[in-house]
Amino acid sequence: MADKINLTISSKKEDTAEYMSVIRLTTSAVASKIGFDIEEIDDIKVSIGEACTNIIKHGLNEGIDSFDIEYNIYTDKLIISVKDNGSGFDTSKIKEPNIDNNIDQLDDSGLGIFIIKSLMDQVEINSSSEHGTEIIMTKIKIA
Amino acid sequence: MGLEVVKKFDSDKGEWIVKPIGEVDIYTSADFKNILLKLIEEENTNINIVGTSLDYIDSTGLGVLISVLKQMKEGNTSIIITDIKPSIKKLLELTSLDKVFTIKE
Repeated sequence: MADKINLTISSKKEDTAEYMSVIRLTTSAVASKIGFDIEEIDDIKVSIGEACTNIIKHGLNEGIDSFDIEYNIYTDKLIISVKDNGSGFDTSKIKEPNIDNNIDQLDDSGLGIFIIKSLMDQVEINSSSEHGTEIIMTKIKIA
Repeated sequence: MGLEVVKKFDSDKGEWIVKPIGEVDIYTSADFKNILLKLIEEENTNINIVGTSLDYIDSTGLGVLISVLKQMKEGNTSIIITDIKPSIKKLLELTSLDKVFTIKE
């Protein structure tokens, strides 16, 4: 059985971004408690930041101003789920960032999800118009 | 925690020195973008971002740098990033943006 911590961020859409540093600090504290090293804590902190940013940018619609973060705490891993009740998006449209030194082609779309997938050990993205979007990411502690 | 940006023009080198203090994320990136755009509007020279007090930057912050660099392209100037923290350097390498910006120790 994993220990669980739940956070609900409920605020006006334009104010939600202000809580990002609170979320990152909370996440760092949870990861530190499990015993991740500094580099791993940074990876987890960046990933939760990107997941929440993704939800603030794409998941929060008019009238939907809250999302949930759940930390599942194991002795050897941390599973974090970030979930909104927005209108979802087509996960097949997530594209790899196009970086080939040609800055005309370059944009930041897809960068966040790409970063999460690079830094975490397992990433699952579920999205539907009925149930919103959920990003579940796992970091395994290397003993 | 937020973000404070110290900026000055280095007339010897002919470039902007920009020192972000704090965090560039979805909350602070719009301000950061406006500051940088104002600088190149005033004088389109290289921008040297000194990373010693930059604690965190996310994909929105990287997006700001990409978009400012695009604007600078006409003047053939570039963004130089110096003394960055290891976690941020890792992010730049991961996204291959270390090849787009000039990274200096």
